[in-house]
Amino acid sequence: MARRFVTTKVEIEGREETKVVELPARNPTPWGDDAELSIVGQRVARMDALEKVTGDARYTADIKLAGMLHVALLRAPVARGRVTSLNPSLALALPGVRGVLTVDDVPDIKLDGVKLFDQSIHYVNQPLAAICADTIELAERALDAIMMTVEVEPHVVTAEEALTADAPRVKPSGNTPRSSPRIMSRGDVDAGLRDADVAITREYRTPTALHTALEPHGAVAEWSGAQLTIWESTQGIFNTRRDIAKAFGLPLSSVRVIKNYMGGGFGAKNGASHATYIAAALAKKLGRPVRCILDREGEQTDAGNRSATTQRVTIGAKRDGTLTAITLDATISLGIGGWLAGPARIYHELYRCANVRSSETFVYMNTGAMASFRAPGSVEGAFGLECAMDALARELDLDPLELRRRNSARHDQEKNRPYSDKHLDECYRLGAERFGWALARDSVPDYTSRIRRGVGMASLTWGAGGGPPAYATVRINRDGTIEVLTGAQDLGTGARTVLAQIAAEVLGAKIANVRTVLGDTERLPFASNSWGSITTASVGPAVRVAAEEARDSLFEAAAGMMHTEPDDLESRDGEIHAKSSDACMLIGDVCEKLGDVMIIGQGSRGPNPDKTAISAFGAQFAEVEVDTETGRVRVLRIVSAHDSGRVINPTLAESQLEGGIIQGLGYALFEERVLDEKQGVPLNPTMHDYKIPTIGDVPLIDAFFVGAADTVANHTGAKGLAEPPIIGTAPAVANAVANALGVDVAEIPLTPWRVLALGARS
Amino acid sequence: MRLIVNGAEHDLTPPSHETLLTTLRERLDLTGTKLVCGRGECGACTVLLDGVSVYSCLTLTAACDDRQVTTIEGVGRDGDLHPVQAAFIEHDALQCGFCTPGQILAAIALLADNPNPSEDDVRHGMSGNLCRCGTYPKIVRAVLAAAERIPPNG
Repeated sequence: MARRFVTTKVEIEGREETKVVELPARNPTPWGDDAELSIVGQRVARMDALEKVTGDARYTADIKLAGMLHVALLRAPVARGRVTSLNPSLALALPGVRGVLTVDDVPDIKLDGVKLFDQSIHYVNQPLAAICADTIELAERALDAIMMTVEVEPHVVTAEEALTADAPRVKPSGNTPRSSPRIMSRGDVDAGLRDADVAITREYRTPTALHTALEPHGAVAEWSGAQLTIWESTQGIFNTRRDIAKAFGLPLSSVRVIKNYMGGGFGAKNGASHATYIAAALAKKLGRPVRCILDREGEQTDAGNRSATTQRVTIGAKRDGTLTAITLDATISLGIGGWLAGPARIYHELYRCANVRSSETFVYMNTGAMASFRAPGSVEGAFGLECAMDALARELDLDPLELRRRNSARHDQEKNRPYSDKHLDECYRLGAERFGWALARDSVPDYTSRIRRGVGMASLTWGAGGGPPAYATVRINRDGTIEVLTGAQDLGTGARTVLAQIAAEVLGAKIANVRTVLGDTERLPFASNSWGSITTASVGPAVRVAAEEARDSLFEAAAGMMHTEPDDLESRDGEIHAKSSDACMLIGDVCEKLGDVMIIGQGSRGPNPDKTAISAFGAQFAEVEVDTETGRVRVLRIVSAHDSGRVINPTLAESQLEGGIIQGLGYALFEERVLDEKQGVPLNPTMHDYKIPTIGDVPLIDAFFVGAADTVANHTGAKGLAEPPIIGTAPAVANAVANALGVDVAEIPLTPWRVLALGARS
Repeated sequence: MRLIVNGAEHDLTPPSHETLLTTLRERLDLTGTKLVCGRGECGACTVLLDGVSVYSCLTLTAACDDRQVTTIEGVGRDGDLHPVQAAFIEHDALQCGFCTPGQILAAIALLADNPNPSEDDVRHGMSGNLCRCGTYPKIVRAVLAAAERIPPNG
């Protein structure tokens, strides 16, 4: 049958792209809440857990090939300047050193707008050259034998300074990527503010946060003739393949990218990285496989970060809390590059308000580039918006939860389209109930004691619809085992398990007989990057279609063997039953009779519904204890209620919620890249000095899902859920601290010295 | 020197500054032990040395002559999992899995030292092992569950 194609819009991490997509061969009836499902929705154990608890799971840094060489990177010691000489000859003469890679070897590769090994220095730890040796230790030692001289030029590492008229120019075009701020506006905010009974203005600051994935960026590259194979810790095998093919002038079919396991991504691993290009180029130059893995300092300083922001917020409201205007004036520190993930969007989406205007100024400076980091933009924006909403609630003497309830958005106001489904009110209701919000709010904080308790909350939204294109193949082997093949990635999210559950559900197979194969561009059909919480909602429907096609073939084959018609058959728990008789066959027996006649189903992801916003929602509640003498904040508990449509696997989904909340706690309390502004040098590029939460920091977490299958969004009813839990955590904690101390909180992380500086009402 | 890893003896002549982590990963190809920070800050490289948990990135191989090292590869295999491994699977106490080998060895050492830990004991005992995915709540549950399953003196 000829394929049909349509043009549609797909949203990823807040960016909407127009794409041509294929219409799937079939469009199954959506699984509504009344669908009888036996495997989807079950707490199936994570399917790659055995490999992970035994140490068998092989990550990129564990790949070892015969003759493989290792790489150390020479990095810039200053924030801005010029390499005036670079002489590796002494290093190359050392035993075990096999070669060097400089800008002359790779003249045309650019990342974040900076040429790889550019001899103009744009930030501290910018790669300047690579040394390749028999062991990583020899390579690292050889770095010291490279003779280099550098001419230092004035740098700028704060957004405030970068925006001044006489600041050093970070890029030839200037210190902002746009000639003017990015403005989004609806209604008339001046009129809205005139209508307001009350208006508050506050300024909020959020830090530069580091992904700190435990597995750093890295790649292993091997050439065989004209074929290049890359093992990479990546969220996007196909993006990586595209980047590498382009850089080396290769046809896509000559590049194979493999990602089986990876030690976290959180947004920073969405295409070829420095390590990928360097490994591939050195492997080509030296004719041997090469492994290039960033060291921890490289990972913490030159592998992406969440932009620091300042957000000046004004909210106007009627006495009853009805919002009349919201304005945001934000400055976003990009570093040397990245994309424009601003905080504004959530200001336009979360609450019903006719007049909203935002202005975002993105700023280049001489630091490492930003990269997507779990809900980029919205995490930063939610902090400003949700703290401001609490400030407004205090001004109005209204319960902050009540203020939010009264301003619930009924539709996507920016694009004037309905939501596919929305259960935020239920998140408020059930979250508040499980938290005991009313009781906690009613108890007057004790402003006399040293240890103060407080409660706070925040709401969240995140575009979570996923979308095309995504493809899957379902194969049934002669013993009845089933393989789900798709070029998606499992970052630790549980995608392997969730996709297997969908296939098992459709086929009526035992889940133990289904295996998902991911992460190989050569062997698998396309699926997009695993980013933007899209994998389940994007790839899940393609798997369902593929499994339905396979099931139809299976039933065709079985009908003949069982002397009935295909539509008389149904399958469950590995058995095919006739509805009209007692006839019954195991899937495995049908396949065994078929022998090597293989049943194969193909599936693709159809377009999203027209003119519909597909979003996840949530409400998060925090209780904290603040020591007014030491400034230490202890988060006692978090209650987190989420609407993400159908949940395919509650256990894995809850793990995602807890993980997002814990990262949000780090953002609220500890995490902050610190720079020496005089030198532009990162001061905390280690895991000791850049604090991520430990097991001892984790409060009681009650994270759960409300709501229903979203049958408008896609035919599995599932929406994304990995990013939402990080969005509201920091503002909920900050609002709880504000409640405990009786003062406004304007900046995170809430380190002890910052808390002490807040003072406390007494 | 002689290094006994997961019961197998190895005759080695590592340079005096070589860490146990490097020996395990690069010399013996036991890649279950992970390098993350390389300076004793994260616990991903945790192994047992004569039954006691150590950061292998801070341990010199030369100091381990004739000593017993247990890595994740020596803990338990499919069909014969250690109760801690089984509990980690059952409670979904892992996501990306990169810190998991270190977490499991730290938990085994903790339970050997304190067979009946309280929740606070677990938090304290496991606080040297970082997890960026945020599996901590489930790690606490898994370690407590494993404690119930490990027979006394087991």
